[in-house]
Amino acid sequence: MEAMARRIQIQLIALFCFLATAASGQTGSSNILVSYSFDDAQLATGPDTFAVFASSRGTVRLSGTNRLSGYRSVEIRDVAGDGDFPELQGYFAPRSKGKLFLHFAFMTATPYEEFNIALAGPHWFNLRKDGIGFWLKTRAGHLCQVSDSMPKKLFVLEPFVWYVVNAAYDIDRGSYDLVIYKEGLEKPVVSLDGQANASNQPGSAVGKFSFIGDTNEDKSNVTYYVDDVIVGIDESIIRLPFVAPGRKKLFIDYWTEAQRTRLSQPGPIAAVGLADFGIRPKEIEAIKAAGLWELLLRLINGQAIPSDVPQEASVEIHRLLQAVALWGEGAKAFRDQKAAHALQRFDEATALVPSAKIYALNAVLSLAALQQWDAVDERLSRIYADWQDDLRFPPAMATIGLARQRLDEAEQWLRRPAEQVPDEIGQDLLRRLRGGAMTPELLQGLKLRFPDNWDDYLKDVFVAEQYFLVLLWKNQAADAERFAQRMADRYEALEIPSSRWYERQGDAAFLLGNFTMALERYEKGLKGHEQSPGILVSPTGRRATLSQTTSEPPRG
Amino acid sequence: MRTQPWTSRSCIALLALLLWNLVLKLDASAAIDLNSVQTMVAAGKIAELKALGRDVLPVMARLYEASDPAQRTRIAQMFYALGWKSDEAKRALIKDVHTPNQQLRLEVQWALGRVSNDADVVEVLLNNMQHDGNPLFRDKAACALASDQIHLKERQKVRLYAGLIQALGDPKPDVRHIAMLALQIQTGQTKGFNPGAPIAERDARIREWKQWLEEYKSNL
Repeated sequence: MEAMARRIQIQLIALFCFLATAASGQTGSSNILVSYSFDDAQLATGPDTFAVFASSRGTVRLSGTNRLSGYRSVEIRDVAGDGDFPELQGYFAPRSKGKLFLHFAFMTATPYEEFNIALAGPHWFNLRKDGIGFWLKTRAGHLCQVSDSMPKKLFVLEPFVWYVVNAAYDIDRGSYDLVIYKEGLEKPVVSLDGQANASNQPGSAVGKFSFIGDTNEDKSNVTYYVDDVIVGIDESIIRLPFVAPGRKKLFIDYWTEAQRTRLSQPGPIAAVGLADFGIRPKEIEAIKAAGLWELLLRLINGQAIPSDVPQEASVEIHRLLQAVALWGEGAKAFRDQKAAHALQRFDEATALVPSAKIYALNAVLSLAALQQWDAVDERLSRIYADWQDDLRFPPAMATIGLARQRLDEAEQWLRRPAEQVPDEIGQDLLRRLRGGAMTPELLQGLKLRFPDNWDDYLKDVFVAEQYFLVLLWKNQAADAERFAQRMADRYEALEIPSSRWYERQGDAAFLLGNFTMALERYEKGLKGHEQSPGILVSPTGRRATLSQTTSEPPRG
Repeated sequence: MRTQPWTSRSCIALLALLLWNLVLKLDASAAIDLNSVQTMVAAGKIAELKALGRDVLPVMARLYEASDPAQRTRIAQMFYALGWKSDEAKRALIKDVHTPNQQLRLEVQWALGRVSNDADVVEVLLNNMQHDGNPLFRDKAACALASDQIHLKERQKVRLYAGLIQALGDPKPDVRHIAMLALQIQTGQTKGFNPGAPIAERDARIREWKQWLEEYKSNL
């Protein structure tokens, strides 16, 4: 593996790193050194994140077809005889003492083709102290660990089966505990304690990891997939659950994660991609070309401030970076419960880059913290269309709902008689509003048609949605399901498109474990809306997932 | 009854295939001009040699055998740099593995493991490491064993490890030292072996290494 350290000519394909916060919902982010779920479509990289080397015919790319969780994994494909090997290499702050916990999943399409997975230190991927510490490789269809300088067989690999690897690496003792789970089995296929590290060296530091094909002979035609890579110093990392194969990240998944980690009071919503900041591939290239990529990463990580943005940067780059810096300040202020200051910063950032959707939603959350409900509803209606299909939106709406407190208003709307709206234009506007087709144009139309009470209509819609989500938040899924049913009935009676409330009913049923009902509700919600399936996933994917879930034999 | 004629036809087909393969190979190597290769070797143009593909190896081997020591040294360097397995190259190089010509010897020792994973390559290098009269050759043979056996499979490494562990018990201190270094580079560890320690302590560590080798073999 020493060749890994030698290669200079590389093609960097960027992969985006700050999914960490979203992916590490079950652990304290300060204890996470590395976390990649590969779910962002945008590709970017930095020296503290990871790099992809694919300078020959082998490839490293995102795969939406095979993944353990979320939407994507990374596919590593080697080609024999092409003079090189593809590599996904990641970095974290080197550690020379204490314990490190490693969690990742892999699946190979070609068990008899070689691949290697290693954790190494400052002396790179060599068998020596501060070189390779942890090393898995394949040999003749077996997965092997390299321990005490020798490969030791673990088990026969099956093609297209996910394996989840959990390792607790004791740097001081030079040993590790290894547990590997196989898809579909509750008990681990490997459970070993106190294994000598790769070269049997106590105190061997680690700071990087690598996923490659073969190392020397260039004979591997392996294709394998990697997902959910997490390295940290919190033992809970290696207790992360196994996720069913091929399962998409549904609303339910994100909801559960978010519910566990977020406080029940408004706070900043995390960025999961550069697109959140209005930074597209073109701007990424420009920022890199200007030598400001590092600065961008530091700004995102809260390690730089607006005054760090150089004046000599081009107007466009300066504007983008300033906005990120303001967002960083706003997020910090928000976390420090200084909502007014946060709002000011988010608004300044929005003014600089209106296309950056993260600033506007954080401004709305700040307004919710400040209890400025009219402004919340008005601004929500402006950004609703941008956010309604985003994983982070339901928890954000629930947070707003919890802050709003008077959610019983949602029930009141159900009890009130139907509005007397005589004209077709007014009825159409309300149908569209309640059907979820909320746009700035619709808002303008509402204001014109209902100048005295347009905000009441908005509030009704938002309060109902927030009420439903708050019930879920409070684990009152049965109540949420009943509320969604009554909303759907009411909408039907008013001839308003009711698919979203059927979908929500399905979500509540899913949380209750009533998968048959959930599937039925999703199917009903999808009727006539196959092209706009609502939150998160394609109808096929959701149906498939539920079908798998309902037909899955009990694990025991 | 149908077996015999079928077998005969298949044998004929196989022979024809082999013959055709041979013709193709001869053709390919014949297509590479010896003089061009000689020019590339003289100028150290490794990239150009590489661009010719593996068919250049038998041509280089023929050139090696027809060359003087200085050119052989350069060709050995090229074999090393290419790092491609070649029976022809190995057969040519191994004839010079005991040459007294210092530069040629060093280049040959280094290049052998990069053109072959045959057992006799490891054997001859182990032998040079322990028994050559010249300490420089011993040292560089150990270097070759440590870093240049790039084609060895895990199973083939058993002989390499066994030879190095056996050399830990050599009466010559420099041999113990270089054997330990080679073993350390190969495995990343020393198991506490100190070449200058008293013999009882060394023997204890050698026993540990032998146990390790047994475990290594049991995992193959």
